[in-house]
Parts: sequence; C-alpha cells; structure tokens
Amino acid sequence: MSVPDTVDTIVAAATPAGFSALAIVRVDGPLAATMVSAALHRPTPLAEKTSVLGLWRDGEGAVIDQVVAVLWRAGRSFTGNDSLEITCHGNPLLVRRLTVDCLARGGRLAEPGEFTRRAYLAGRIDLTQAEAVADLIHASSERALASARRMLAGELGRHVARWTDRTLQVLAELEAHIDFPEEDLPPEDAHGPAARLLEIASELSGYARTARHDGALRAGLRLAVVGAPNAGKSSLLNVLAGAERAIVSPEAGTTRDYLEAPVAGLPIALTAIDTAGLRPEGTPLERLGMARSLEQARGAHVLLLVVDAAAAPPVLPAELLALLVPGRTLLVANKSDLPPHPDQRDFLPGITKLTSCLLDGRDADSLRRQLGEFLISREIAPGADDLIVGVRHAEALSRASVALGEAADHLRAPIQTELAAAQGRLALDALGEVVGRIDNERMLDKLFASFCIGK
Amino acid sequence: MRPHKEIRLGPDRPYDVIVCGAGHAGVEAALAAARMGVEVLLLTGNIDTIAQMSCNPAIGGQAKGHMVREIDALGGEMGLTADVTGIQFRLLNSSKGPAVQAPRAQCDKKAYQFRMKHLCELQAGLTVFQAQVTGLIFKADAVVGVHTNLDLAFHGRSVIVTTGTFLRGLMHIGSNKTEGGRLGDFSAKSLSTSLLDAGIELQRLKTGTPPRILGSSIDFSKCQEQAGDASPTLFAFHDTRLQADLFHVEQAGERLPGWAPGSNQVSCWMTEATRTTGKIVQDNLHLSPLFGGEITGVGPRYCPSIEDKFVKFADKDTHKLYLEPEGRNTDEWYINGLSTSLPFDVQLQMLASIAGLEKAVMLRPAYAVEYDFAPPTQLYPTLESKKMAGLFFAGQINGTSGYEEAGAQGLVAGVNAACRVKGLTPLVIGRDEAYIGVLIDDLVTKGTQEPYRMFTSRAEFRLLFNHGSAEIRLKDKIATFGLVPADRLQRIRAKAEKVAHWIEYLEKLTITGGIAGDVIRRQWESTPPNLPPTFLSESPEVQAEVLYRVKYRGYLERETRNARKLHDLDSFRVPVGFDFLKAYGLSHEARQKLAAIKPVNLGQASRVSGVNPADISLLMVLFRTG
Repeated sequence: MSVPDTVDTIVAAATPAGFSALAIVRVDGPLAATMVSAALHRPTPLAEKTSVLGLWRDGEGAVIDQVVAVLWRAGRSFTGNDSLEITCHGNPLLVRRLTVDCLARGGRLAEPGEFTRRAYLAGRIDLTQAEAVADLIHASSERALASARRMLAGELGRHVARWTDRTLQVLAELEAHIDFPEEDLPPEDAHGPAARLLEIASELSGYARTARHDGALRAGLRLAVVGAPNAGKSSLLNVLAGAERAIVSPEAGTTRDYLEAPVAGLPIALTAIDTAGLRPEGTPLERLGMARSLEQARGAHVLLLVVDAAAAPPVLPAELLALLVPGRTLLVANKSDLPPHPDQRDFLPGITKLTSCLLDGRDADSLRRQLGEFLISREIAPGADDLIVGVRHAEALSRASVALGEAADHLRAPIQTELAAAQGRLALDALGEVVGRIDNERMLDKLFASFCIGK
Repeated sequence: MRPHKEIRLGPDRPYDVIVCGAGHAGVEAALAAARMGVEVLLLTGNIDTIAQMSCNPAIGGQAKGHMVREIDALGGEMGLTADVTGIQFRLLNSSKGPAVQAPRAQCDKKAYQFRMKHLCELQAGLTVFQAQVTGLIFKADAVVGVHTNLDLAFHGRSVIVTTGTFLRGLMHIGSNKTEGGRLGDFSAKSLSTSLLDAGIELQRLKTGTPPRILGSSIDFSKCQEQAGDASPTLFAFHDTRLQADLFHVEQAGERLPGWAPGSNQVSCWMTEATRTTGKIVQDNLHLSPLFGGEITGVGPRYCPSIEDKFVKFADKDTHKLYLEPEGRNTDEWYINGLSTSLPFDVQLQMLASIAGLEKAVMLRPAYAVEYDFAPPTQLYPTLESKKMAGLFFAGQINGTSGYEEAGAQGLVAGVNAACRVKGLTPLVIGRDEAYIGVLIDDLVTKGTQEPYRMFTSRAEFRLLFNHGSAEIRLKDKIATFGLVPADRLQRIRAKAEKVAHWIEYLEKLTITGGIAGDVIRRQWESTPPNLPPTFLSESPEVQAEVLYRVKYRGYLERETRNARKLHDLDSFRVPVGFDFLKAYGLSHEARQKLAAIKPVNLGQASRVSGVNPADISLLMVLFRTG
C-alpha cells in the first residue's frame, strides 16, 4: 500500500540524447535515497552531498554501468525533496537502461520542467527564478547568460520584495488612518506617502523599460549590411564573422541573394546579413535581389551602410534612404587606405561614420568594438549593468507603476485615501504576479508594528 | 403547526436547534433560527446577562459599524437595539469617502441587555432557559443534545455553541487568578473536555478589559469633551423597517413624547495616560502576568494592554484614553485604553497619575481573561463543524473579538442550523458581498493567531461595501432565506429599483453643465444643486446611495469586475470527496493545508495560506478531468 501523503518520485535524463563522455540521470522524490542504496548494493544510506562511485545494478543484479551518484536530502535540495543525480557514461543506451531501472524501482518519468516546478512549488525559488532556469539553459550570448544568472540568483525577486515592502509600508500608514480614525496616530499626511509612491513608481517603470532588450537577449539582433554594389559589403561580413563566409570579388553584383553569419566577439548574439548591392536601377534579376535586400533591411535592428570612401557618394534607391535613420544606422567608410573623395563629408549628415579598411582583417577588433558601443549607446542592445526583465515581468511592473502613480494622484486634493489604497492594492497584486503572491496580513503586520493601535 | 415555547426533555422530543450561550452571537443565532420557523432552545448560565456588553459600552466603529448594518439587513437585532439604547452617536471618518465612513454608538448597557432579553422572550418558537451547558451529547459523528448543570439533558437536531470567553475562562489581576469568563461569572470547564473528547482542537487566547470608575469622582474639567453628532447616523434601516419595530424596552407600546433614537445624547471625554503612568507600568512590569509568562494565550494587537503600549511603543510618552458612560441610569464609567492585568494597587496608582482621574473611585478592576477557542479552520463556511454534523460554532469560540463579529456569526450559524433541520441549501455570503462574508471566509480559510477583529482593509472590495448599501447588496440572500418580513422585503426591493433607475437615468439626463453623471463626478466635493426635483424628493437613503454609485462609478465598476473574477473561482466547486492529499503535482505543503481546510470551492482554496496560483491552475485541470 502506498502512503497517499507523499510526493511521487520522478526520473529523467538531464543531458541531451547522443553520444558523449558522460550523461546525467536525475531522480527526485522520497524513493531516491533507497533507490540508490539498493542499486549500488550499499547496506547504509548514502551520505548527502557526497560523490559515491559504484556499479549500478538492475533488480536482477546485472550491472548497467559504473556511475557516480550524489544525493541531496529533503529540505536542502533544489526541489525540497530527496534528490539524486546519477552520472553514467554518455551512451544513449545506458541512459535508457538506467532510466528504465529507476522506473522499475518505483519512479515515474518526469514531465518537462517538472524539477523546476517542484522547486517553485516548494518555495525554494520564486517565479522569476523558475523562468530564469530555462533562460539560462537557452542563453545564446554572454549578456543573456549574465542576465539569466542574475535572475536565477533572485535579483528581480529581491527588487520586487523591496518594492513590495515599501508599498506595504505606505499602505499601512494610509490604512491606519482609515481603520483607526479614533486612535492616537501621527497627523494624517498625504504629501509624504504620495512622494514615496511616485518614487517607487518611477523605479518600477525604469525596470519595466529594460524589457525592450528582452528580444535582443532571447533571439539576438539582426544586422543588415547594405550599400551600393561593390562597396565592400561582403568583405565587411567576413570581417565581422571572423571567417570567409561570403564570396568577394572586384566584380560588382557578386552577391545576388542574402547570406547570414554570426558576428563574433560581441557579448550579445548578433547575426549579420550580407545583402545584394542597391542602386536605383538594374536588370530584372538584380531588382529581385534588391527587393530581398530591402526586405532584410526593414527587418533588421541595425543597418550597416558600406560606402566606398574613395569614390563619389553612391546614388541609393529612395526606399533604402528612408530606412537610414540615425538611431539605427552606422556608416562604414571603406577603403580608408585610399584618399577620401571630398563629397563624402556631406554625405548623410547625422549618421555615425566609421572609417575602415576592409581589405584584410586588420580593423576587425576596432570595428566590432565600435559596433558594440553604438548598439549600447543607441539602446539597441543592453549595457553590461542592466538586469533585463522579461516581457511578462515588464507588463506587471508597468501595471504596478501606473497604479502607484494613480494612488499618488488620489493623495492630492481632493484627497481620497481609500481610492489611493485601492490603487496601492492593485500595484501589490501586480508585483505579486511577478514573484508569487502577497498576503494582506503583511500590511496589517506593518500597521501594528508601526503604530500604537488600540484604545 | 405554529412554533411555540415550551421546556421539553428527553431524546424523543428534540428541539430543532439548541443555542448554548446568550451573548451577542447566541441571541442573534436563536432569533434568526426561530424566525426561520424552527423550534429553538436558548440556554444561558444567567438570564440576567443576556447580550451583556462585557467590555466597552459601544457598538459599531470602522468595519464593525458596517457589519451591524449588514446584520440589520439580514433581519438581525443588533442594529435596532443599538439605535434605541444608544446614548451617543458618531459617524467615524466623515471626512473620508462613503465606503469608509462608519457609524458608532455608545449604548446604555443595561437597556441594551433588557431589550435583547425582551426580544427573546417575545419571539415565537424561541424558549429561553437558565442552565449551564456542561457537555454535548454525540451519536456517531453527529451532535444530538446537551447536558446541563441541573442534571437535565436537552436534545436537539442542531447545536450552536456560543460560549464567548467562558470555556475554561481564567481571569488575571496581578498574581490573583480567578476562574470565570467575566468578573462575577463562571467558567465552563467540562464543556471544553466534551469538545476535546469529540476530537475538536482547542487553543488559548487572551483579552482584557479596563477598570470601571465612578463618574462623580472624575474631574471632567481636566478632560476634553467629545460630543455626539447633532444628526445621528443610525444602524438599522429605518427606511424599510416599521415604526413598530422601534421600541425602547422601557416604553414598549407607548413611546415617550418627543423621543427618537439619538435624542438627548451624552458626551464621552478624552484624557491621556502620562509619562508618570508609563513609569508606574515600567516599575511594576514584573508583576504583570502578561510579562511574567503566566498568561500563555495570545492577545489582540489592535487592543493592547497599557503594559504593551508603554513597552512596545516606548518612544511614545502619552497614550490617549476615552472615558465612556455605561448608561443613563448608572454613574459607572469605562476607561477605554487602560486595559491591564497589573495588580489592583498598581491600577490605583495608575489612575492617580491620569489627568482628571486623580481622585477616581474604582468600581471594578481591570483584568485579563484567558479562554479556550476552537480554531475556526475546523469549520465549513456554514460555521458547521467538519468533525461533528449538526454542531455549529459562533462568536469568540471561533477566535474573534467584538460584539459585532459575534453577532454576525451568530446570525449566520442560526440561519444555517435552521437550514440543516429544514433540508435547505445553507447561507454562505461571499467576500464580494459583505463584510460578514469576509469575516467567515477569513476564519474558516485562514484561521487566526490572535482575537480576530474586522478591519475595512481586510475586505478587498471595500469600495463596494459602503454601509448604506447593505440591504441592496444582500437583497437576494434576504429573499432566498426569508430573513425579513415580506413587507420589509418589498420595501428593500423598491429601494433597490429606485436606486438602479436613478443611476441609469442620471447618466442620460442633461442638466446645466452637461450629463448629470458627469457633472456629479466633476464636482467632486459637493452635490450639484441643479439635480431634478423628483430626485431631490427621494428619501435621503436613496439619494445618498445613488450619488455614491454615480460619483465613484469608475472605481466601483473596476471593483465589480475584480469581484466577478473572484466569483468565477468561487463558483468552481471542489468535487465531493476530492482527496487533496492525492493531488500529485501540488506542493506537499499545499496538499497538507488543503486537506485540512477542505475548501468547498477553488476561490476558498486559493486563499488558503501556502497555496500558489500555480496550484490553483493545476487544481482547475484536475477538477475538469475528474
């Protein structure tokens, strides 16, 4: 008879299917401890958080593999339950046999994300941390990793806790005057609380704004290299990619279709797209290529316009000129080894210009650095110190910010304390959505701790 | 068969409902059950203390005043009795919005009791009898009657326990300990044992009361007067009640000329505990059973003893005290704010240190009282025990404090005990409908660590609960359960229709300055003078409600939307026999808590502490798939 009042034990491979040196199977739940002792034929329970080397045998006593097992005990593990990690050799067949054996010993297959879900439900991590686990696993750039790491460490959760605490404190003061009008309270003041609420509101909206970088972190940025034929676009792509990706030739119109390559050496994921050269006219085939180039340019986060600095400024199609806005365009003046053409100085005023020689890779580092700085200064990519909140967080934070602003409004004449309190509550609910829930009892705790209530 | 009054003994002639205790909960319970047409026995240890105000001589205040109006809407008697025996009336928070304004009244303690006693005597189907309940009689998992100290057993289909502070009541004055639930009264000890035997868990709470003094010994010239409102705000809905309901017990039948509720008011007075008082407290702290560890029960944070005030808020030199008269025909005064369990001689020293009370003559000392309560998470939202069928609990035994909280629970327990006998669907009031709904949901879902008092801030939909709207909010419940006479229900419905009509009409009507509704919202601080005369000739109650609803329309609509979300969760019922312990995927803590609370719907489940929104989503899936 199974005892109903227990968690069941879940099992899953933690590493991807395929051949590798090592692979890990995770087990979580009350059976984990007995399971490992039985499989390793050890008469006593495993010491916790200690690697144990042994032969994992199935129920019949046949060896499956030599493994290293580590056991975490309930209350001190990620999930809050007894939790086991088995490291075996990285053969999918072994992983399967190990998993099947764990199932035979009373486990069941875990659902996707179930380990993290257990950690959240057990109160080991808040919602932002649970989300960050997936973000950390899927992060595709240094900056995405850094942000996910900070999220996982509970940074947003701690901010929310502080905002919540400050909001609760203001609410407690307002509520004291509503619920205990006859008490010996400090004189009712609306200015102080209003100012404090606005301060919190502005912090909230500041953090909410960082979500504009969420897409940059998740999917990376797209950079379109555009320009007239034979300006050196493909050379630039190769320099940025740090590899010969595009075919380069002195013949104009070598690139007919677009080509993608990841930009190396930047803390954020950036995909450069080489496009066909653009000019006002062309053959039907060229025009087809140009249409595709424009399409790529429109969808890109940033445009790199490559110009032959030694020649007269190119005549570009109007559709492209319309896309070349200063906030997201960088002009790369190629062929800096030759004397510059005098008309280049007045070409596209307001657009940031870099001079470079794309002949070999000599300017590569400086180009990447300047590109990185441009992206951060124009807020296309996040800076190193930014904690980037997700879209879901931003929506809730903005809602909280707006509600607090409205609460502050109600504290200006005609003062409507109960309406301010109602808005304050909405803000708390929204903050609660970010991490979990906030109990009204906490407001009362603050209220009674702050004021001597009671006749 | 017409319900009548008689003493009936023996298991073959059971009452429908037996109420144990005739305090504020017991009286409302007995009256409500009897008015629903079942036969009720109300047992009290002392008929002379029916509906006694054991502590302060006042009814109402923030959230409490709101609840009294709700009790009145549901046919209870607390409001009317407070109105006709009130000797001072004040509307609290009158400078704030209507939702958080609340009526409060000082009452004549004796007159209040007499009227309640008389109501019980007059009520058809309600038998009052003086006997102390010493134990409950159980048969299998149901209660079937009670034993009393007179060696008489009474049998009943349902039993409501409303014992207040009497369960193993123990009073402390310094090191002096006296058994009893109130000074001069007894302690119900064997009843605790009987409840424990039935598997009902009991814990201890503590409360306290200040000294009473002789008014002629107070130097009022050193105190500050606090007069009542010139135009009193009453508790009962006199616009839907009959004049005949409105009798003062001393004038039943013949009303004194010129008398009306709120006439001839008396004042309260303010003074303060001084730095000297604080020093006396500090010097004698070792003599306080609260600080010496003798008292183990938890006391209320919102009603601290004077020891607590000077210790926990040491930076405050003075603490406000209110002197409140206990009645018209007595010179006994209550010192609100001076609750203590310090020894008698220290109490005398403290009095001497207070401005105006230097020569005060004490009539009764202050004391603390510890008592058993049954953690209310052991109850269903009907206030029936999960352990014993037919056993209901109301009032302080559920861990609450306050006459109003007790009366509200008593009324609901009374109605539901009657519903059980009659086989009707029970009365459960939502958190989105009334403070009474918030009160009971909080108690049965979250329980309480200290004597629970209602605050407006406990209600998430506070803006919908302006005190004037209680009848309109609860009109469907009033109708379904037949809680008021048919003619009053008709007047309530007519009022609700008028209000609804004007709310709609004012949003269409053009007056000087635009659409009337917009003008009302723009002129936030005053009522536009050019509203139609037909509106201005409506009753003040109708006008006030319409103006509130129009002026706060945006906020009220949002609250209503949020309330509907809650309502959706509340209407998601937990399948009968659902085993929360086997709801894998929920956290261990959530399963444990849910299995203990046994929520009846998802809304209640979501309010159990330790239950996450993720748990609720999962439960929703589980309930859908069965």
